[in-house]
Amino acid sequence: MVEVRLENVTKKFGRVVALRDINLRFRDGKFTVVLGPSGSGKSTLLYLIAGIYKPTRGRIYFDDKDVTNLPPNKRNVGLVFQNYALYPHMTVYENIAFPLKLRKTPQRKIDEKVHEVAKLLHIEELLDRYPHQLSGGQQQRVALARALVKEPAVLLLDEPLSNLDALLRVKIRAELKKLQEQLGITAIYVTHDQAEAMALADEIIVIHRGVIQQKAPPKKIYEEPANLFVAGFIGNPPTNLLKARLVDGAIELGGSRITIPARLPRDGYIVVGFRPEHASVDAEPLENHASIPGEVYVVEDMGKEKILTIIIGGEMVKVIAPPTAEFKPGDKVYVNIPYRRIMLFDPETGARIEA
Amino acid sequence: MNPLQRLRARRREREEPLIDVETIPRRRLTIVLAIAVGLASLPMLITYILLILTSFSNTAGMLTISDLAHYVPTIQPWIDFLEGKVEPTAGHLYTTMEILGIILNTLIVAAGVSIVVVLTSTMAGYAFSRIRFRGRKALMQLVMILHAFPGVALIIAVYALYVWSLAALPPSAWNTYAFIYVILSRASLEIPMSIWLMKGFFDKIPWEVEWAAIVDGASRIRVWREIVLPLVKPGIAALSIFAFLAGWEDFIYVWVFLKPRDIYTLATFIEEQVRNLETAYFPVVAAAGTLYLIPTIIFFITTQHLLLETYAGGMKA
Amino acid sequence: MGAERLRSFLTSRRGHLAFFLAPALTLITIFYLVPLILSIYISLTPLKYWQLNRYLTDLSHPLENYYRLFYLVTHHPDIGKVVITTIVFTGLTLVVNVVGGLLLALATYLMEERFSLFYRTLWLLPRMTPIAVYSLLWYYFFHGSRFGILNSILLSLGVIHKPVWWGVDEKLLPWGAWMILVYVNGLVGVSFGMIIFYSALRSIPREQVMAARVDGATTTQLIRYVLIPSIKWHIVFVTVWELLSLLTTYAHIFLLVEWGLIDKWWGTTWALFVFNTAFTAQALDQGLAAAAATVLVAIGLVLGLITLKIMGFKELMIEPRGEL
Repeated sequence: MVEVRLENVTKKFGRVVALRDINLRFRDGKFTVVLGPSGSGKSTLLYLIAGIYKPTRGRIYFDDKDVTNLPPNKRNVGLVFQNYALYPHMTVYENIAFPLKLRKTPQRKIDEKVHEVAKLLHIEELLDRYPHQLSGGQQQRVALARALVKEPAVLLLDEPLSNLDALLRVKIRAELKKLQEQLGITAIYVTHDQAEAMALADEIIVIHRGVIQQKAPPKKIYEEPANLFVAGFIGNPPTNLLKARLVDGAIELGGSRITIPARLPRDGYIVVGFRPEHASVDAEPLENHASIPGEVYVVEDMGKEKILTIIIGGEMVKVIAPPTAEFKPGDKVYVNIPYRRIMLFDPETGARIEA
Repeated sequence: MNPLQRLRARRREREEPLIDVETIPRRRLTIVLAIAVGLASLPMLITYILLILTSFSNTAGMLTISDLAHYVPTIQPWIDFLEGKVEPTAGHLYTTMEILGIILNTLIVAAGVSIVVVLTSTMAGYAFSRIRFRGRKALMQLVMILHAFPGVALIIAVYALYVWSLAALPPSAWNTYAFIYVILSRASLEIPMSIWLMKGFFDKIPWEVEWAAIVDGASRIRVWREIVLPLVKPGIAALSIFAFLAGWEDFIYVWVFLKPRDIYTLATFIEEQVRNLETAYFPVVAAAGTLYLIPTIIFFITTQHLLLETYAGGMKA
Repeated sequence: MGAERLRSFLTSRRGHLAFFLAPALTLITIFYLVPLILSIYISLTPLKYWQLNRYLTDLSHPLENYYRLFYLVTHHPDIGKVVITTIVFTGLTLVVNVVGGLLLALATYLMEERFSLFYRTLWLLPRMTPIAVYSLLWYYFFHGSRFGILNSILLSLGVIHKPVWWGVDEKLLPWGAWMILVYVNGLVGVSFGMIIFYSALRSIPREQVMAARVDGATTTQLIRYVLIPSIKWHIVFVTVWELLSLLTTYAHIFLLVEWGLIDKWWGTTWALFVFNTAFTAQALDQGLAAAAATVLVAIGLVLGLITLKIMGFKELMIEPRGEL
């Protein structure tokens, strides 16, 4: 088990900069999720660690060992691909045994190891089959077994669940988390699915356009997003973000003025953010809340809750209401947000303004 | 943009260099492999280059590598060739041949083959791709097996048919008939593969396009001509080039059918000259060879992606 | 009335089918099917000198040509050479083509793209070069005078001291002629393997190559355990296809023999023997040629069927949609 460190890593493909000056530490034995939309550079980051790409600038360390110029076969990493990349001409057994065979491990030892890892992943009865005879979930386990059998220093996973159907994804997600805790292996997991990231990670790294946006435990990412991008990317439905004018240090929103117990510039603009699940919709304003008047636009009944779309001064926000809430389109309401749940961002830089 | 350019543009998009460059230690490996393959290609390269250089030299025979040290380029062999002075070694007593006629003959055969192949296989390819009929698979299979038949077995009987049919015609029509016969029989050799190729192109066109036109009241033949054909233009372009080159390069059929009538193409011209090399002049032969090579090289360079794709497309795993 | 009938036929479904298929099927019938049957028929007649009227109806000794062929093969020293040459040439060239094609495909696959493209293009050149020019090139290369390219190079390097007639020198026969045959045909043949194998290699998912590298494979191991096993069906296909083409190829060889570059008999393969027997002035014995051709047809049929099987022909025939 190792700690992976990237120092000033930049990766260019031709003229396109995929990653810009990345400094990161992936902690030993922890589950780190790299989260970002497609094209953000997250897979490039993973492949740099695997040795499939070489950084244009900067260095990569496994503990104190500089692996920047080491080819992938010398790094001892396990890698699971989105499409599993099982060798179609080999049985499950041969697929799993392949990395050991390449290391010239004695056959007896290979046999032992393959069965051990197959047992761990509950695929013992599949060992004689070929990949095309397996379901997606089974293929996924085989890919994982192949990555784990060589006892890698670090386990890399490239969107391993995204080819599975929704139900299976949730199930395997939990197993994956358990497995990682059990083995205590350093795991780096790339995904674009924020729910997956929240569920799995000890630490999340949010990346966008080749730049690290924030690196923090899930709870902190959720509660204290570092900037507009992170706030907008995490959460479902996403965080409501409204541009507002500052007048004499108060925020002017939807025709009403909100005074917040925070030090703000006297005038200019600011972005106000709040999560749909943190606000409530009521017939009148509440104490200790920022109350904004609005009009109900759509009501979506999800069973366990209702999602209300409300128009505030020409913009739409979403608020989650209890299933018992009785609203219909056209109702004049107040959106009440507890002061401590309000997030403020600089509209120029996107950075969060600390209250 | 013409269809060819479009195909090439599409090809370029896909031809992006592998981005997993670093999964294989490229640079060193590339150098080793490039040198190895380069050495293997050397005889081929040298020979092509020397042939072209000979056609621009005033040497008495074949140019050798050591001659290159005092090589003086001249276009005399080309002038002799185009004027038909094919045996200038015998002083001023040239044997002259109608070279432009020979080039024209070669072009007629090539163009004829191209037209026949394109016409027949765009029609048949459409039927095999788009029309449901009994025996469709069996018929296609038969056509493909025919393609595997040894050409040499066919040509004996094809010639027998030719001899037999010639008797029914007035001698004044024999030369024209020989041309038509060469074109049709040579084109037939290309038809099975071409049907298969065109069928592949038709297979890729969405059915909805065709249905829309039929619902609007067009007949099947009209749909084919006005809706489907424009969509397979790249395929037609590729096919006409391949078929043209097949006719252009043909040796056996023109040797069998045309040469006995004293109708020469570049292929039989070269054959004849080298056969009489004691009296012929090699630089002139080299010029003929170079000229003969030019369309091939031009098409080859402009369409080599197409070519690689078409050949490779014959096999699906 | 007639025009009316024709019109209604052309707008019917069968009419459409006839319209689209007629030109191709007519040509295929005249130039493939009829000749095929006719060729087998000719092999049963004593046809020679193209005297159709005289010999073509004579079926009195239908197997005569086959007896003669068998006798020639077993007793005539020159025809014996043709048989041996065919076997050696086909076998050796097949190995050269498949192995060479595989090596070229692997080399170009592993190379950086710009080199790869250059070499792939270059090696396609022999296939595209007109037969007469291609033969001319190798005539020039292997020519027995001191001006032949190979001779001139070896002379200036001091490897040989007088020019060598590579394909006809008694001391070098039969291997001298065979080597030229194998080299000249091999150079055309490797490009087919190269193209098929290269495109097959390129269609292996990138992730599989990456996975193998991450699993610890060196380049050699990658080739042996991942690349070659992934294209094994392509290798079988190319082998069968090349075998078929080698058995039936003769145009290059015809020219090289005619031009005196290689020995007449040690340089003649079965297909060329068929052609010469039918068409060259010394023989013009079409009955015998047709019998020899029938042997090729039989082999071709078997190999052709195998190729179709490998191509996965059935799966490639997509069913038309709709009820039109």
